[in-house]
Amino acid sequence: MHRLTQATSLLTGRELILLAACVVITIAFASVSPVFATPENAATIMRNSVELLLIGLGMTLLLAMGGIDVSIGVVMGLSAIAVGRALGANLDPALAAAIGPLTGALLGLVTAAVVVLGRIPAIVGTLGLLGVYRTAIFVVLGGQWLSGLPTGLTEMLGTSLVGVPLSFWVIALAYLAVWLALRRTPFGLHLLAIGNSEEKARLAGISVTKVRFAAFLISGMLAGLAATFYVATYRNVEMTTGSTLALDAIAAVVLGGTSILGGRCSLIGTVLGVMLLRILQNGLLLIGVPSLWQTVVTGGLLIAVLSFEALAGRLSFAKLGWASR
Amino acid sequence: MSEAFLVAKGIAKRFGGLTALSDVDLEIRAGEVLALLGDNGAGKSTFIKVLAGAHPPSEGQILVAGQPVSFASPKDAAASGIATIFQELALSENLSISENVYLGRELKHSVLGVPFLRRKEMKQRVAELLKELDAHISDPEAPVGSLSGGQRQSVAICRALNLNAKLVIMDEPTAALAVAETRKVLALIRKLAERGCAVVLISHNISDVFEVADRMVVFRRGRKVAERLRAETELEEIVALITGAHPDVRALEKAQ
Ligand SMILES: Nc1ncnc2c1ncn2[C@@H]1O[C@H](COP(=O)(O)OP(=O)(O)OP(=O)(O)O)[C@@H](O)[C@H]1O
Ligand SMILES: [Mg+2]
Repeated sequence: MHRLTQATSLLTGRELILLAACVVITIAFASVSPVFATPENAATIMRNSVELLLIGLGMTLLLAMGGIDVSIGVVMGLSAIAVGRALGANLDPALAAAIGPLTGALLGLVTAAVVVLGRIPAIVGTLGLLGVYRTAIFVVLGGQWLSGLPTGLTEMLGTSLVGVPLSFWVIALAYLAVWLALRRTPFGLHLLAIGNSEEKARLAGISVTKVRFAAFLISGMLAGLAATFYVATYRNVEMTTGSTLALDAIAAVVLGGTSILGGRCSLIGTVLGVMLLRILQNGLLLIGVPSLWQTVVTGGLLIAVLSFEALAGRLSFAKLGWASR
Repeated sequence: MSEAFLVAKGIAKRFGGLTALSDVDLEIRAGEVLALLGDNGAGKSTFIKVLAGAHPPSEGQILVAGQPVSFASPKDAAASGIATIFQELALSENLSISENVYLGRELKHSVLGVPFLRRKEMKQRVAELLKELDAHISDPEAPVGSLSGGQRQSVAICRALNLNAKLVIMDEPTAALAVAETRKVLALIRKLAERGCAVVLISHNISDVFEVADRMVVFRRGRKVAERLRAETELEEIVALITGAHPDVRALEKAQ
């Protein structure tokens, strides 16, 4: 049956399964790799999850409304360049931090304009943008990495607030804001209605265009915020920055129980999906699987979840006229 | 008979090369149940979608309470007091009953400029409406997709009632219903009219129509071919008008 729009219990079956899966693979990796279960490695996993989590929150909104953005990782890449350049020009770290979400929001508007005003399916429109943005990154970077950026931003986000780094508060706030928007405002309801059926949402009097614009804007902004965190952590930006994040995010969100066809979503599920993916990738690396295999694992997982759902009758691609020949 | 709430003049609707409606004139009065009849594809649904603001007319004019109006969306029509229950029930299956009843016009309160839903009030009001309609729904928080056809119809009617609509348009509200639920919906339609609502009803069930309608309009191939008061017509005449066997319709179609 459909997942209710309001969580009646704390976790649904799907989320419990994910949680259990996280525990099981953690135990499994810990028993094989002596390094895996150390506090340092736990911190590394957390650290590596930040960008994916932020982008995953936005992707949850997009999928919930029947949209998608396969260019979102590259949007983070472009935003990271903007933040990096700002830092490199010795801009105040607080301003440089704001440049990330701003750039992301701007690119989100571009995506919305292409997909919503251009009336193209989001998957095709954002694929086109992916091509454009990739070259844009190449051109802007001129084949050279941004590296050795100043540490001001890193220090700022590391500032302790009530004993916890500022970065944690920012991420928690982002999660809370998205959760409130989704579950406590008309916007969230409209998003889910559009994900169920755009035509019916329109008949109910919802301004579909506005809602879709807002969703792409928020998703872009979150990717831009992810860029700020990325630059703060690595203090460099390369050609391939963010290039696998769209795939990772779609996989994590779908794992979390959000329908790829829209109308049903779970933010907690997204958090768990992100954790599962990053634990898996980290553990595999530690037991000696080459990093090249990471995208194979992610892609495989995505395909497995989707076919499982299709076979279980929870997904019908025929609804979209997506015949899988 | 009261004054017309809505007047449609010379309404035409084309979809590309296909003319779904042409030159339809119609008056809809408060407190009256008006039935639209006609064969499949006659243009009934298209006509009410024009009234509901879902399709802009290709030609013609709509007056509400004497004033010309032009609806860019169902929201505009709703603002003029027109609520529509579409044939393919425009309910979101993934949302709950109260969410559906209020969708697009939620109760909210603003905190720092952010509109937050007033879920409790919405649930309360919907529970009252459901009780008024005598609709038996065990779990009002269940997604509408899990309800029966009759229950969904009550949700749709709830939605219209909640809009405080002056005109409620229903496209085949009883088509998917069992006998008992059909009776309930018919009684409800009369109740709406007694409240002073204008009701426009599309139905293929002519005996249902004779039971509730005050006036009947017959569509054929996108045109209005006849209009009759219930008191002045017979079931056989209406059937003949729908099928085109009636001499009036023949004469009309010959003239074109
Ligand atoms: N959105 C649309 N685009 C193109 N053609 C349409 C559209 N909607 C309706 N039509 C066409 O307009 C004509 C009238 O259709 P309409 O749905 O109004 O008929 P109807 O009288 O409601 O029939 P039924 O009793 O089967 O519901 C049909 O030929 C239909 O195919
Ligand atoms: Mg119809």
